Amino acid sequence: MTVTVDLAPHAPPASGLLGWLTTTDHKKIGISYMVTAFGFFMLGGALAELIRAQLWSPGSTLVSASTYNELFTMHGSIMMYLFIVPFAVGLGNYIVPLHIGAKEMAFPRLNALGYWLYLLGGLTMISGFLTADGAADFGWTSYVPLSGSARTPSVGADLWLIAIVLTGLAGVLASVNIVATVLSMRAPGMSMFRMPIFTWNMLVTSILVLIAFPVLTSASFMLLADRLLGGHIFDPAAGGVPILWQHLFWFFGHPEVYIAALPFFGIVTEILPVFSRRPVFGYVGLVFATMFIAALSVGVWAHHMFATGAVEVAFFSGLSFLIAVPTGVKFFNWIGTMWGGNLSFGAPMLFAIGFLLLFLLGGLTGVLLASVSVDLQVTDSYFVVAHMHYVLFGGSAFALFAAIYFWYPKFTGKRLHEGWARAHFVLMFVGFNLTFAVQHELGLQGMPRRVVTYPDDSLLTNLNRISTVGAALLGVSTLPFLWNVYRTWRRGELAGDNPWDGHTLEWATTSPPPPHNFDALPPIRSNRPVWDLNHPDHQSPQGHG
Amino acid sequence: MDREPSLARRRWWIVALLPVLIALGVTAGFVFGGGGVPSFGMPEPVTEEGRRTHTLWQVLFIAAIGVGALVWGLIAWSVLRYRGRGDAERVPSQKAYNIPIEIVYTVAPIVVIIAIFIGTVIVQNKNSALSASPDVTVQVTGYQWQWKFEYEAERVTIIGNSEPGSLPEIVLPVDATVQFDLKTADVIHSFWVPKFLTKRDLIPGVDNKIDVHTTATGTFDGRCAEFCGINHATMNFVVRVVPRAEYDEWITAQQAATTDQAAAG
Repeated sequence: MTVTVDLAPHAPPASGLLGWLTTTDHKKIGISYMVTAFGFFMLGGALAELIRAQLWSPGSTLVSASTYNELFTMHGSIMMYLFIVPFAVGLGNYIVPLHIGAKEMAFPRLNALGYWLYLLGGLTMISGFLTADGAADFGWTSYVPLSGSARTPSVGADLWLIAIVLTGLAGVLASVNIVATVLSMRAPGMSMFRMPIFTWNMLVTSILVLIAFPVLTSASFMLLADRLLGGHIFDPAAGGVPILWQHLFWFFGHPEVYIAALPFFGIVTEILPVFSRRPVFGYVGLVFATMFIAALSVGVWAHHMFATGAVEVAFFSGLSFLIAVPTGVKFFNWIGTMWGGNLSFGAPMLFAIGFLLLFLLGGLTGVLLASVSVDLQVTDSYFVVAHMHYVLFGGSAFALFAAIYFWYPKFTGKRLHEGWARAHFVLMFVGFNLTFAVQHELGLQGMPRRVVTYPDDSLLTNLNRISTVGAALLGVSTLPFLWNVYRTWRRGELAGDNPWDGHTLEWATTSPPPPHNFDALPPIRSNRPVWDLNHPDHQSPQGHG
Repeated sequence: MDREPSLARRRWWIVALLPVLIALGVTAGFVFGGGGVPSFGMPEPVTEEGRRTHTLWQVLFIAAIGVGALVWGLIAWSVLRYRGRGDAERVPSQKAYNIPIEIVYTVAPIVVIIAIFIGTVIVQNKNSALSASPDVTVQVTGYQWQWKFEYEAERVTIIGNSEPGSLPEIVLPVDATVQFDLKTADVIHSFWVPKFLTKRDLIPGVDNKIDVHTTATGTFDGRCAEFCGINHATMNFVVRVVPRAEYDEWITAQQAATTDQAAAG
């Protein structure tokens, strides 16, 4: 009996645009995520510039109150749901398989489905601007009863909720994939405690996504049922409970803050060792700090609800304070990594140090906010707006640009220009601080968030003007970056496979990597196999401390 | 090995210490310069509860300055002292662990956290306690997009209207305990008088009350702090705290006005 085996080769993968549209390559999907997310970042940033322009003067009529409400709602929604987390997912998609020596993600087609659902969800959300009543206008937190059909009958609100469901599903699919990839696709020798910290953080982040996103997706379905099917889940007139929305939302919303932060902590933890020519300091402690932060982050949601008067404040305050401990551990690990090193200041390092300086401020104001009586004064004011931007922009977005400068050579084989990168950094650092530092004081002086105007008062006006000037600078800071990407794409210098003397496996393959990622892997005997290969006299110590 | 960089090392110590020195200098300047401990941007409180929050804020802020200056100083020191000096190929120490230091930087923050947690709970318990017999009780009802204030015992009602320049005004006696009973007629609002240094939400289905003990006379702005729709930004009111006699006069005048309206109606 003979068995015939079809040995005919598969059709070669499509190239060009069709190749991108039909790809299941984790690297192409990763790039698609990052480019799409960056597009949403520019849109969200443009909305922010309009917000700041409106607040230039008290009583300004540049935009109407209803337009303004759409602007800040869509600014927050785009940045939180469509930019910062999807960018991290895209980077994780690209880097995690390379970090663990795998040739693909565990579920390539699921991966593609996740990206397309995300894109569909994002377009659904912003399509609200094309409807007669405009986009959603109840804030990115969508509190009921305001977001119910009686107060917000617009189609834009329904589109917003459908987008939350779609992007939430996309996030769950991507996270399942990352967890499965990390657990089952590691190369021989790549034990869990030899994984790069970025990959560790993507694993922990993905587990948080699996805990948090389904809650928001469910809550969005519940609100859609109230709005479209006559449900009364959140309707007080029919015995529904409005505050239930806040519990569900923040049970998603606080882990979300760490979902939007942990990947970026991971990026900084990759960059600091390379630019200090040292191993990560306190690797094991750092991994446990990440797990501890993640565990605490699901138990602190009601610190967003102190002013509701309906939660046990001491419990949530205490747990929130406790997050400062593992976060502090991370800071000392980062400093310990640089300590005694041989530091160089390429663009990735500049942005990583910017991250350290600014995220520290966001962390400190976070501790102030966890103190209940202080929170009751500053919550829902510009102080919180400032705090949140120091964490998510000063923290995550600075680390995001660090990541782009760090891995761009791997993505494209070319290196971004250092001079333009420095101009970008300086403008962004100055613009950022001008915009947001003064907002702390605006909040303390009584300016609530989400207001289209403010009383005619010289202190408020001056602080708002400083903030608007800063925002303009922040907008301008994107130009040298875009120019840098364009000019490098046209005629950048070739980077080579390992331009930074990197430590981890992505630097062991070509730039950009081939479709199967690696032709050969170096031996993996520590958390930085490529360093060990290139510095046989200075190998990493085996074992842990 | 080479002692040559020691001079440079000493110079960088000073630069790295700058954040610490500036923070200490500014704080000391206020404390010993007759200004007392600075408010760090927080408004001067006009209630007893606000005074406690204000003190807590000052303590926390000074602790934050200390921690911030320490960490910034360490970052600055690392960056300046260990910057590459032209020898990019040099491989520095590869030591990646220091268990005693790791224990210290884990335990020390726990101690700080416990201290500020205790302070937080003490202040919050005092501030959230409700008097069984307040001097004045005001029923506050928020609606899109104004406020209704009812002095039930005195039969006085103040209703805001949306005309510009005519904010609803409530008058309170000084050195008195005032209870605000907070309710909403529609969506969620939040009752905030920034100089009281506190706020509380008005939520359907949640019965919120706060007490304030007034300590200073004056006119204070009040706002809605929870986004509530299109006119959220102008949902403002005014609180005027006056001596007891003046308050009594105001109540009498308001009662007369209410009676006139009832008669006219």
